[in-house]
Amino acid sequence: MSGYTFDPAIIWQNLPFLLGGLLLTLEVSLIGIAGALAIGIAGGAVRTFQLPVLSGVVRAYVEFIRNTPFLVQLFFLYFALPGLGLRLTGFTVAWLTLMIHGGSYNVENFRAGFTSTAAGFREGARALGLSGWQAFRYVTFPIGFRTAMPSVSNTCISVLKGSSLMVAIGFPELTDRAVSIVGQTFRVYEMFFTIAVIYLLVVWAFSMLMRWAERRMAIPGFII
Amino acid sequence: MSTDWAGPVAAYMFGGLRTTIALCAITVVASTLAGIVLGTLSVIRWRPLELALRAHVEFWRGLPTVVSLFFIFFALPTIHVYVNAFVAAAVGLTLWASANIAEIVRGAIVSIPRDQFTAGAALGLGWLSVMRLIILPQALRRMIPPLVGMLVNLIQTTTLAAVIGVLDVLEAGKQSVERLTLQTGNPHAVEVYAAILVIFFAICFPLSQYASSLEKRLVV
Repeated sequence: MSGYTFDPAIIWQNLPFLLGGLLLTLEVSLIGIAGALAIGIAGGAVRTFQLPVLSGVVRAYVEFIRNTPFLVQLFFLYFALPGLGLRLTGFTVAWLTLMIHGGSYNVENFRAGFTSTAAGFREGARALGLSGWQAFRYVTFPIGFRTAMPSVSNTCISVLKGSSLMVAIGFPELTDRAVSIVGQTFRVYEMFFTIAVIYLLVVWAFSMLMRWAERRMAIPGFII
Repeated sequence: MSTDWAGPVAAYMFGGLRTTIALCAITVVASTLAGIVLGTLSVIRWRPLELALRAHVEFWRGLPTVVSLFFIFFALPTIHVYVNAFVAAAVGLTLWASANIAEIVRGAIVSIPRDQFTAGAALGLGWLSVMRLIILPQALRRMIPPLVGMLVNLIQTTTLAAVIGVLDVLEAGKQSVERLTLQTGNPHAVEVYAAILVIFFAICFPLSQYASSLEKRLVV
């Protein structure tokens, strides 16, 4: 690294600006994650019950989104939708793309969770006189949700990391701000070291939180 | 409605598609090989090696891929390694994907009962022979469905190369849209980006269907 000295002062100078970016990263990620959970639970239930027509629509959505690149979906929403008369702000496009993308993965996560709930439980619930909806609400959902948790938290983390792609549409989140500082100052190591630490801390904190939630929700004596 | 614009744009994007295919081919082969080696090594119980591989996997998997690409692209020149964006993208994508594949391989190997290591050793085979003749042939079969899934992910992720300026199919499409906006006032962005979505879907959908059919067949 001849001719390059790592200057920590650069980090402190730019930290408030970067943390402002982190705030936007967290905002669009959390909205995206919340939406993706809602899509996942609803879509997963539709697929589990194989509701006519709706189930096919959900499957088409899942296959299309999962088999096309996130970045191209992002460009389509940001650059192509205005051509169809719909102009969205960078903020809206950011959470919307994350939500659509994360939602498609969560549909599969929850479907797998719901269908893996032993048929015996469902039959037991029906035998006790619960309606189909009640059996889902009180038996399949609570158990299936817990089974799906590990893969759902992986999807949430990839949504969080996916927010860094908003650099491609110039939305001023964490990565975009770091790249623009590098562009002006060439302080490559300081900036990428800082955002790498921030991303790793956020991702690890989030996965610890999810593992804690899994343990909290675990049903004693019931191994999923 | 005139479609004169489409011919030159398609030709330009086809050039980009060739770059995308080259990038896919290189990263798929390199990361699969690296992932199998790293994943196999990670079952060896030797603390320094375990820690080094753990760090490698956690680091490249924990970072957003686009951040790794930017870092490699900007950082290499400071150590006097001058490579173009294509090489930087290939290196970054391979590091990221090989970390993921190493985890898949490790998972497949530890899913083989430990008794088989012992049985192999009892037959007088060394570690390498046990791995090559007994463990890996079984583990490779188990890891194929998640591996194909990961490779589909990698093929889609090659589009991130566009962000550091590689002229792949996405960057070619983006430039075409910009040029059309300047020249004709009509960006045709819907057609261009829809075409790219369709191209990737045509490649990735059959592959992921294949992965899930393999998964179903493996369940006895």
